[in-house]
Amino acid sequence: MNNLLFKKAKQVGGILVMISLGVMTGCNNEDPLKQDVPEFISSVKLIFTPVGGGTAVSATATDDGFGSGNITIDRPINLMKNASYTLTFEILNNLAAPTDPEYNIGNEIEEEGTEHQFFFAWTKSVFSNPTGNGNIDNRSDPLNYNVEDKDANGLPIGLITSWTTTDVASSGTFTVLLKHQPDLKSNTTSSTDGETDIDLTFDVNVE
Amino acid sequence: MKSSFTFILLISITLFDLKAQESCFFTLSGKISSTSGEPLPGATISLLDLNTGEIAGTDGLFKIKNLCKRKYRIEVKYLGYEDKIIVLKIENSIEIEVALTESDQMLEEVVIADQYQRVEQNQTASALSGTALEQTKGMSLGESLRELSGVSSIQTGPAIFKPVIHGVHSQRILILNNGIRQEGQQWGAEHAPEIDPFIASNIVVIKDAGAIKYGTDALGGVVIINPPELPTTNTLGGELNLIGQSNGRSGTVSGTLEGGAKRFKGFGWRVQGTGKKSGDFHAPDYILSNTGYNELNYSLTTGYHKEDIGIEIFYSHFKTEIGILRGSSVETVVDLNNALETEPPAYTKDFTYNLINPHQEVKHDLLKLNAHKRVGNNEYTIQYGLQINRRKEFDVRKGKLYNIPSIDLQLITHTLDLEWEKSKEKTVRCIGINGMLQDNNNIGNTYRIPFIPNFNSTTLGAYIIQKVSFKKWILDGGVRYDYRYSKVVGYDPLNMLYRSTLKFHNASLTIGANRKILKNGVYLTSLASAWRPPHVAELYSFGQHQSAGSIENGLLLGDSSEIIDFNKAEYKNEKALKWVNTYQHNADKFQMEATAYYNFIFNYIYLKPTGVSTKVGGPKPTFHYRQTDASFLGFDFSLSYQVIKKVKLSAKTSLLRAADEKNNSYLYFIPSNRFEMNVRFEQPELKKWKSFYVESKLKYTAKQNRAPVKKTIDEIIQAEEAGETLPPFDFASAPNGYFLWNINMGISCPIKKSKMDFKVSVTNLLNTSYREYTNRMRYYADDVGRNISLAVKYSF
Repeated sequence: MNNLLFKKAKQVGGILVMISLGVMTGCNNEDPLKQDVPEFISSVKLIFTPVGGGTAVSATATDDGFGSGNITIDRPINLMKNASYTLTFEILNNLAAPTDPEYNIGNEIEEEGTEHQFFFAWTKSVFSNPTGNGNIDNRSDPLNYNVEDKDANGLPIGLITSWTTTDVASSGTFTVLLKHQPDLKSNTTSSTDGETDIDLTFDVNVE
Repeated sequence: MKSSFTFILLISITLFDLKAQESCFFTLSGKISSTSGEPLPGATISLLDLNTGEIAGTDGLFKIKNLCKRKYRIEVKYLGYEDKIIVLKIENSIEIEVALTESDQMLEEVVIADQYQRVEQNQTASALSGTALEQTKGMSLGESLRELSGVSSIQTGPAIFKPVIHGVHSQRILILNNGIRQEGQQWGAEHAPEIDPFIASNIVVIKDAGAIKYGTDALGGVVIINPPELPTTNTLGGELNLIGQSNGRSGTVSGTLEGGAKRFKGFGWRVQGTGKKSGDFHAPDYILSNTGYNELNYSLTTGYHKEDIGIEIFYSHFKTEIGILRGSSVETVVDLNNALETEPPAYTKDFTYNLINPHQEVKHDLLKLNAHKRVGNNEYTIQYGLQINRRKEFDVRKGKLYNIPSIDLQLITHTLDLEWEKSKEKTVRCIGINGMLQDNNNIGNTYRIPFIPNFNSTTLGAYIIQKVSFKKWILDGGVRYDYRYSKVVGYDPLNMLYRSTLKFHNASLTIGANRKILKNGVYLTSLASAWRPPHVAELYSFGQHQSAGSIENGLLLGDSSEIIDFNKAEYKNEKALKWVNTYQHNADKFQMEATAYYNFIFNYIYLKPTGVSTKVGGPKPTFHYRQTDASFLGFDFSLSYQVIKKVKLSAKTSLLRAADEKNNSYLYFIPSNRFEMNVRFEQPELKKWKSFYVESKLKYTAKQNRAPVKKTIDEIIQAEEAGETLPPFDFASAPNGYFLWNINMGISCPIKKSKMDFKVSVTNLLNTSYREYTNRMRYYADDVGRNISLAVKYSF
């Protein structure tokens, strides 16, 4: 019986070697599927449109992909003094096709408004309204979220905001912070709650 | 290198000439039981003159092979029973039954024999078996191995443990699960080995580099999980374990059933399964939200064993879902800073068993076929293993993406091992070939650029080991050669397809010696070289990983978004040279082991924080895989002393000093110095009750003073703007040292031929708040608080 078993063991062994060889030659790797990457934000454009008409002012931050390179910002935000503007965004993912729903991230932020809120900070001398230096350091500081710009719970999102520059020429910085606050967002959640989606600082000149 | 090997061969040839060849292929098998007939699993059977031994399986059965025609002194020991020394003249393969008398005296704990099944070189090894293994039941593999001196862990939260041997881990440790090298996605620091420790009857840790039989990668050591031998007679046995823990409100059920066949002697089978469920663990002051897990594992074994032949089939399935602290999910350095300063961590909620993201889902299937045949004094073994590993990682993602894994990988590994072992009285020679095929694929849509690419690789290796005994010395040497060919296809950071082909090859060598010193001492020394091919992840990974808001970059990712051609890269294979010296002393009332080691790893690959990248989402911490030369100088010491009849004192310490030799700096996640004091009281008999013990363990973990310095985010950004290169840094300082006090208690109750064991243990009795340097959760939260664990085991 031992011999018989040994023969069987040999057969099993032989089959195994064959399986392995088969796998070795037949194992042709397929290319991984190319993935859409809806979470990627390739560019954020800030658009300051003068209230009552005129040429909009914009500045864009662009990312180079998922590598460790830094973003580039094309130009400072150059605003007129003593003027009122409405700030809106164009937030895109250029790794998606322009026809894809993933291309325009702004729409997604609006749809998931109950999880998102923009916070802002600026150098005090730049704007006269809202007063102060913004609501990143203190959530209850003044900020002019547009009345139309609300989530399903009636809380502000920040995709549309209103700004009035000071009447003296000055320059400083302007920070835009978008927080993702799933199951957290309330009328007291602040800029330190949740995860950061956008955190960009632009130079701003008031002339 | 070659000359030393030739030297050993020469010695062996000389020995053949001096001594007439004798036949050494007898097997001594049998059963260890108590005088009342109860089997004694875990009893040790030592051959006193050979300094080798075996451990009895769950049914008290054991088998020792390759014995020569001569007289042997055999010592049988079991905790709570009197030692027995038998003198046997072996002329044929024989079966014996040994009955041990219960002692009213306290005996030393099961002394671990120097050599085990699968440990055939002169290696510094420790093992978890018998009572020591029993006490770790309910823990994960990585957690239970921490009981051994020189072994620690890298943790991600309370339930993800990766073993660390002498300061090195992950790709530098080989894990052999039932003889098959474990292949999963072991590159990740939060990827724990996919093994159910309940399958083991003993776990051996070899602390030498290049345990040459098992392949590349063993730069730090090898962990060997040995299941018990299958029954060969018509018996039916089994055990049932029930364990409950207060911290995490967890429950574990594990059972084993095994038997043979009446009509078919030699046939045996075993069925085993484990289920675990845990909710959120808690630190002394708050719940660690989303740290629970669910685990379900089972295995089936069947086989036929006779004296000179054996065949075995083993299948195991491992499945786990495991949460990662919700508050550790961060996106930018500012979020990280917030998390570092927030305590309790963000998203701390009430206790729950429900898992949210981030979490992992891992499945691992192993099929093993093994056959061996003995012809004269030659033994031939063939072994095939198939492993299918599936890993899904879920991050905190937005909207519809929340339920889509960001990493979804399937790794299929085939291994084929052939071995020929020729043993004579004074020499053993082993020649073997290993082949491995791997196929790694990204599965399904993750809506992320794959973190690691797809790859196919073929690895071939061959080795020869020669062992010679010479008067009081046992000498061994071995050489091994490996070749790996890989084809890689993936997407770069701009989501463009790339392909590459990689080839690696190298040789490794070990020499070792072992000498008896006086009656009770053994000195072991070994010098081993080892190497490992890089993991594809170390070369090509990029992006964000498991909700840590950092960007990781493989060695082949340049500063631009392109992949560097492997042939133009400055990459060099990682190679190690490790020297280990051990002295063991085993007297009746006093045991001691001291191990000193030095491991130098050339081209050590590690993940280094390199700075901050400004992205649309804000400043992100960046990590790059880098290479340096690393050294590990360490000392492990353990002793135990029976002070009075029923009381034993023991102490353990592990000291380690690791250095980044190229940058004259420190390495990351190196375990700090550890000290342990243990007092144990035993009462072998208490009326109907047996083997009562109570022990008090005091552990002190020192602060890691040799850790990279903390740099604040502002300091990092300023240094980058000034164009300065930063020294190795970390985002938080190493936490302070801490004391932990643990209490263990246990008692047994024999019921006819079966037995009930009860255990109570309390860890972190004083509910101390502490953070452990090698736990990645330390950035965000305190470690776990007091835990009371109750365990009942029924065996028959």
